[in-house]
Amino acid sequence: MKRWLALGALALLVSCADVNGTPRTFANSDLELAVGNGARMGCSCMYVMQMSESYCRAWILATPDVARVSFDATAKTAEAAAFVSWAAKARYVDDQHGCVLE
Amino acid sequence: MRLLSLIVAVALPTWAQTTCPTRSSWPTDAWPVNLVDSTAKAAQVKTLEDYAFTLTGADAERLGLRTDALLIIKGGVIKYERYGRGYGPTNRHISWSVAKSITSGLVGAAVLHGALSIDDSICAYLPEYSGKVCDIKVKDPITFGTGLDWQEGYEHSSYQTSSVISMFFGVGHRDQLKHILTHRFYATPGTGWRYSTGDAELAATVAKRALEAKVGPNPFWTVLFDKIGMSNVIVEEDAKGAVLGGSHVFATARDFARFGYLFLNDGCWNGERLLPQGWVAQSTTVSALFKASAGSNVVTPAGYSWWLNQAVPEHGMPKPWPDVPGDAYTADGHWGQFIVVVPSEDVVIMRLGDDRNDAVDLNRLISYSLEVVR
Repeated sequence: MKRWLALGALALLVSCADVNGTPRTFANSDLELAVGNGARMGCSCMYVMQMSESYCRAWILATPDVARVSFDATAKTAEAAAFVSWAAKARYVDDQHGCVLE
Repeated sequence: MRLLSLIVAVALPTWAQTTCPTRSSWPTDAWPVNLVDSTAKAAQVKTLEDYAFTLTGADAERLGLRTDALLIIKGGVIKYERYGRGYGPTNRHISWSVAKSITSGLVGAAVLHGALSIDDSICAYLPEYSGKVCDIKVKDPITFGTGLDWQEGYEHSSYQTSSVISMFFGVGHRDQLKHILTHRFYATPGTGWRYSTGDAELAATVAKRALEAKVGPNPFWTVLFDKIGMSNVIVEEDAKGAVLGGSHVFATARDFARFGYLFLNDGCWNGERLLPQGWVAQSTTVSALFKASAGSNVVTPAGYSWWLNQAVPEHGMPKPWPDVPGDAYTADGHWGQFIVVVPSEDVVIMRLGDDRNDAVDLNRLISYSLEVVR
């Protein structure tokens, strides 16, 4: 019972903090964001903007610089990975819709 | 005779308001080019280029202004055009938030086609949603007035508290509409002004859904882009078809300039009205919502997602660009993307850039550009 009361009080505190202006926090890790950025923006840079690979690698650099990005020009995809378990892939759809992050 | 006079008196003003501007040519296929005399305008061009095209440090340092394209169009003719940093006339460039102004124009096109009304609930076009979000009307997101507690923030803010970064690359990326519409409300829709990429994406998705029902697939091209010759434009979506209309529109500098030219010509193109009568005027008038509730941290007043060179006495705000005509307005994107329209000078300025640590001084950029073509 005490545990439930404590949890309830904690929930109330969190709720009040939010109302009073504490920003909402999203459950993203920096690694997830890094690979998402690398794949999506890399795909757009290469296949939508049609810039060079060296330009695009510089263009998508973000902090922390942990994403390893690879491009498949035939399939028009960009994949990004970080460490062992973080990965993202974006693919070029068509000349109206550009790239989508899968 | 008296009856005839009466008819003329009543009909003429109406006709004058609804008619479209006349031009000797329209840049649907190609822009006419007649560059300014580089000798006669050498000083003005140098001032402009010293400001816009002088690079700072090594490219990897990402310092200063990094202009990728600069076009000045006067009287429907390209008078100045220069590219930088590897860009050229055939490269598409990211719009970032310039897309928000394009989206508001697309909503206007949807209104013209009878696909939607700005007073409709968004749920009329998003039937999978119900509840309080249905209090949001179509006009709310184009005036940044959904009341959703959106946290706009980019690379220099906390990644974990940014609604935008989470939507593009994080937990919200697969279903961005759901990400937007599951934000809690900080205000009743239509009562609070807050800049939001989520609002623009919501508006774009609603416009797409409404127009698809009216004109079929790829409606933005049918009702607008193809008609004005934006042949290289790309509008990205998420995996579920939500339109990234607040950020991820890509086009060449010349194509973006066409969108500015559409607004310069009151939403008309070659005699055809593509935006409703009065839409451009409404878009470029400070919205009542902005006057009522924009925060003190906002420095440029807004209409329908366009940024206006107008004073807002209600907030003690002076004209943001004092040396620029008061009728100027801009579409404005992250890293220095701008479509500038100056009706009193018959000018459109298109600037694309990659400014990572600096901000263009629009007062200087616009006034220097105008001097080149005066």
